[in-house]
Amino acid sequence: MRYAILLLGAPYSHQAAHSALRFARAVIARGHHLEAVFFYRDGVHNAARLASPPQDEPHLVDGWTTLNQEHGVRLEVCIAAALRRGIVDADEAARHGKQGHSVQAPFELTGLGQLVDLGLECDRLVTFGA
Amino acid sequence: MILHTLNRSPLESTVYRQALRALAEDDKLLLIEDGVLGALPAQQALWSSLPGRLLALAEDLEARGLSEHCATGIEVIDVDGFVRLTEEADKVVSWY
Repeated sequence: MRYAILLLGAPYSHQAAHSALRFARAVIARGHHLEAVFFYRDGVHNAARLASPPQDEPHLVDGWTTLNQEHGVRLEVCIAAALRRGIVDADEAARHGKQGHSVQAPFELTGLGQLVDLGLECDRLVTFGA
Repeated sequence: MILHTLNRSPLESTVYRQALRALAEDDKLLLIEDGVLGALPAQQALWSSLPGRLLALAEDLEARGLSEHCATGIEVIDVDGFVRLTEEADKVVSWY
């Protein structure tokens, strides 16, 4: 089956991000295709490339990145939710006259229409809310 | 069958009431995250309308030291079982 995950929770504020990552791994382990994880609302903080948790704690940003590298899972970040929270890639930083950027590949800033497409195209869309 | 998940403790949030209102006859409710606090025997009166259709996630019970305190009649499943349930369900509705 084709799966997609919608994640609404910021890391460390709620368990949602950990739950979503655990579920993502289990979906893949059962032989399904995980098309994408869509990060929306406070969930966009999962894409913060500068996140540096203590070394003895799970590293969520690395966890998502590994899913992309090993299984081709797209990491789609709602651009409207991201920009207002200071989650910007290099292009958007330049456009808004900001120095530095907080998002890099494989995370991609994208529109809410992508979430609608995931809901239409995938067999299952599972939300982890906060 | 629609699978509903609930991630808030019924002691801290009343969202479980909305979930219960929305559950159709053959739907199932899976308690996850802080929702597993609803699996304690003291909370069982809340779920009287769901005989055999209430589940709790093993990993989240374990993380809270509640594995041995789950009420009888609640089916405990791990995350692999969670995925399997989403395969069986037509769709998944999350309450949070």
